[in-house]
Amino acid sequence: MRKQSVIFLLMVLAICVGLVTLSSTSFAKEVSYLSLADYTGPIAGLNVPADMGLEDYIKDINSKGGVDGVKIKFIGIDTRYDVARAVSAYKRYRRTPRLLVVNSISTGIGKAVARLIERDKRLQIVPGDGEFQAHIQRTFIWGPAYQDAFAATLDWIMDDWKAKGNSGAPVVGYLSWDNPYGREHLRGGKEYAEKLGIKFLPPEFFPPGTLKHDVYLTRLAKAGANYIHAGGVDPTPTNVIRDAYALGITKKIQMTTDYWGPTALGIGVHAKALEGTVITSFYQRGDDSRNNPFVADLWKKHRGSMEKFNEVYGMGMSWGMTYVAGLTAALKAVGYDNLKPDDMYKAYQGITGLDKHGIQGVCAYSPTSRRGSLEVKIYRVKNGKIVPITDWRKAPDAVSLHKF
Amino acid sequence: MRPCGVFDKSYGLDIAIIRTWQHWVILISALILLYTFPLFGSYYLVSFMNSLAITVIVVLGLQIVSGYCGQISFGQAAFMAIGAYTSAILTIKFGFSFWIALPLSGIMAGIVGIIGGAPSLRIKGMYLAMATIAIHFVVIWLILHMEITGSFKGLYPLPPSLGGFEFDTDERIFYIIMTVMVIMTYAARNLVRSKVGRAFVAIRDNDLAGEVMGVNLYYYKLLAFFVSCFYAGIAGSLWGHLITVVNTEQFTLMHALEYVGMLIIGGMGSIPGVFFGVLFIRILNELVMFSSPVLAKALPWLGSSPAAALGLIAFGLAVIVFLIFEPRGLAHRWEIFKASYRLYPFAH
Amino acid sequence: MIEFFQHAITGLMIGSLYALVAAGIVLVYKATHVVSLAHGQLVAFGALFFWLFLGGLGLPFWLSLVPAFVLTALLGLLIERLALRPLIGQPLFAAFLMTFAIFIALEGVFVLYLKGETRTLPAFLPEGNLDISGISIPINQLISFCVAVLLFAAVSLLFKYTKLGLGMRATAEDHRLAQSTGIIVKNIFSYIWILSAMVAAVAGIATANVMDIYYMLPYIGISGLIVAICGGLDSLLGALVVGLLLGFVENVGAAYLDPLVGGGVKDVAAYVVLLAVLLIRPYGLFGLVKIERI
Repeated sequence: MRKQSVIFLLMVLAICVGLVTLSSTSFAKEVSYLSLADYTGPIAGLNVPADMGLEDYIKDINSKGGVDGVKIKFIGIDTRYDVARAVSAYKRYRRTPRLLVVNSISTGIGKAVARLIERDKRLQIVPGDGEFQAHIQRTFIWGPAYQDAFAATLDWIMDDWKAKGNSGAPVVGYLSWDNPYGREHLRGGKEYAEKLGIKFLPPEFFPPGTLKHDVYLTRLAKAGANYIHAGGVDPTPTNVIRDAYALGITKKIQMTTDYWGPTALGIGVHAKALEGTVITSFYQRGDDSRNNPFVADLWKKHRGSMEKFNEVYGMGMSWGMTYVAGLTAALKAVGYDNLKPDDMYKAYQGITGLDKHGIQGVCAYSPTSRRGSLEVKIYRVKNGKIVPITDWRKAPDAVSLHKF
Repeated sequence: MRPCGVFDKSYGLDIAIIRTWQHWVILISALILLYTFPLFGSYYLVSFMNSLAITVIVVLGLQIVSGYCGQISFGQAAFMAIGAYTSAILTIKFGFSFWIALPLSGIMAGIVGIIGGAPSLRIKGMYLAMATIAIHFVVIWLILHMEITGSFKGLYPLPPSLGGFEFDTDERIFYIIMTVMVIMTYAARNLVRSKVGRAFVAIRDNDLAGEVMGVNLYYYKLLAFFVSCFYAGIAGSLWGHLITVVNTEQFTLMHALEYVGMLIIGGMGSIPGVFFGVLFIRILNELVMFSSPVLAKALPWLGSSPAAALGLIAFGLAVIVFLIFEPRGLAHRWEIFKASYRLYPFAH
Repeated sequence: MIEFFQHAITGLMIGSLYALVAAGIVLVYKATHVVSLAHGQLVAFGALFFWLFLGGLGLPFWLSLVPAFVLTALLGLLIERLALRPLIGQPLFAAFLMTFAIFIALEGVFVLYLKGETRTLPAFLPEGNLDISGISIPINQLISFCVAVLLFAAVSLLFKYTKLGLGMRATAEDHRLAQSTGIIVKNIFSYIWILSAMVAAVAGIATANVMDIYYMLPYIGISGLIVAICGGLDSLLGALVVGLLLGFVENVGAAYLDPLVGGGVKDVAAYVVLLAVLLIRPYGLFGLVKIERI
């Protein structure tokens, strides 16, 4: 027994050593990108395909010789939605030379890492908290803030309400996860609703992983909601709308979701229940994304058949585009040898107007803006497909309405 | 840990923690090594040691209530949260200095711990363990729904300072954390060999028998919870001032389960066991976490997410294999080693 | 009033799922005295195996049910043989930690297979609502509710009237005594894990009926654990009653208390009930009260 275990241990050791030597063969010129992502927890459905897109994009850039001969190294760490793990991981890579961007894919992690980022004069990107736009620091968000997108939804609701020939203002209900993400939309979104004169019902919150949402939906319906906004990262909104459909609510009430709402992949099976759902998104959805040659080609090259295509893949690619653009500008400004994370921060503020091949609106990073883009597009589920019902339109600035 | 042929000739020698001059040499050189560590250790190792030491303090508390007193508690993460929040509120909203807030947060967590430990007067074993899980969720829920705790936004405590000197980097706060850890370890080591410690062990082994012998069950069970939560509170306060952000997502049930796991792997009812267990789980965790990018790079067709999944599998399997070979924990192996060292070169 | 009944019925439907999950935990505890954290994963894998055949291969309902059961049972057996059997005679907390480690390892497998995607069972039960004087009940959930109750009855009968059940009951009573009457306790452990895994498969399929198969699915095991403890770890009846009760309390509590305290009652309702029950009855509502002697 003892001999066997020694042999076993030696084998494990040999594999480890082999892997380390294999992976430490590094390029002469290299910059890093750290992704603190949740690959195995509640928001993995969003993180995994997005990082796939980014990884493939970086692979492509590297195989073409990199950016001016500088190759990009992608480091993906699984944080399991755990702040302590993420902070430990960031500290592990903090002193990596030329680690230029950190992507913290969770509200809690972003806030915990932000202070270290300030100290290291680095920059980080986080999902969509308007707080980072309100207090301008080194944290950038991926697209418009949550409250901006929610305000855009409210705008659409007003238009829709009037188009249906109603007078006055509609009643809007809101339900989402019982955590910081779920409440962020309302910090600014609520004020915007008041500004429009919309009657906003008391918001409902539930823990992630809830089995049925009937209670909340019936309460909102009973309070006379004409529109219900279902938050949460997919599949949560899909499950909420399924419940609404089973209750027969969707006939009378229009369901809306934010940009983590159902993807084309999830709609397949629930086409009937999700019919008519409105999705406000800052990146291309459905066939828009599928037919975007830029996205589809990369997917086909690395992942094969389009059967399992997820639109979030394209959003991941757009992080890569921003990174490459920032890197190009930073290299032009200081050159590889003097490149410091702070230069990347400066470069990110200057890539305003970067075209993202239609995946998302043009880049809006600037010294006074932390938003990745300003535009959203409103989609609707029709016959099991996600169809755009508006063109790209600028999301209203709801962040400035709230006192942070 | 003493060689063959060393005998206790007086009561003083018998109760000495540090018995021979070799022990003194090892202890003092270990302390010197510890305190000079930031001078030669890399930044990452120093920050890793910080989180390691904080975990050691939490698990020491758990060892007292679970390992010695036999009351299994899954509430340790929540009590750590109470400590962190108390310290943050005291320093931010009431302007206390960190040095006063640190013990106060321990006491606050201890007092809540007495309330949280009250079910132990009626409930035992696995049922008590589940009751502490319930307490965990109730505490976290309360924190989230109160105004003073910053609700969903959390709080931002500042790094400690002393006479103008800011302990604002990992290398600096290292000294505070290590000093607290050494004191807490010393206190725990002595507590468990005092009258109180013997009462705890009596309760663990058979509480009815203990009561018959004259151990006041109510008093000692609640005392065990108080001490354990005091430890957790202190650790929480240190954690808050190290990370400088406090929110509930840092204190999850997974952490509490992990602490109990460290305790079992290290060995119940042993202070060195705490160190073994914390080291084992934490190092395994870091290895798994940082091997997945290496794996993803070495095998490019794999991708990052599957590499992370493989890491999870490896973590689970390592613990499974460990438990099959050493179900009584590393402290058990350590005892066997000590015993055989003491007898060397004789067989019995 | 109708609204109250509507919430109550919805709660009971969810409660039947909790009860099913708890049943598996109770079964394992009864025989082996191990509280299994890994049960949530068995539930998730049951659902995933079923999906593999129904959704993945497109087999008809009955044909996919059989392999799903067999595979889940096999997984349960593997867990028992490879991980838990070496721990017989060792501290129970080592076994508890072992189930936690199994949970993590299986979660890795789950993630490795799903890669961030979601799987949904195609509708295999009749859809539509049953209307009883204003209260609407989804038919598919009503069916899974009935299945749950029937399953409890079946398992109870198995325990009461078969030789295997007798062996299981004897083992639950005392391992050593059971061994001395000629029952092979180790085999009983295997059987009970297989049985528990099959119950888990039913629970998984019923749960996947209302919720997608994704990362949060295994965490229903925590709700199951609460139910099992509240009802008494060794009582199947307790699992059923408390499971239904918990679903009821969560749903009705969320309906009537949320507006009063500002939301989020569902997060803690279960835990408050658990604490209250344990303080009044330390061995759960229906658990066997142990009389301790020195």
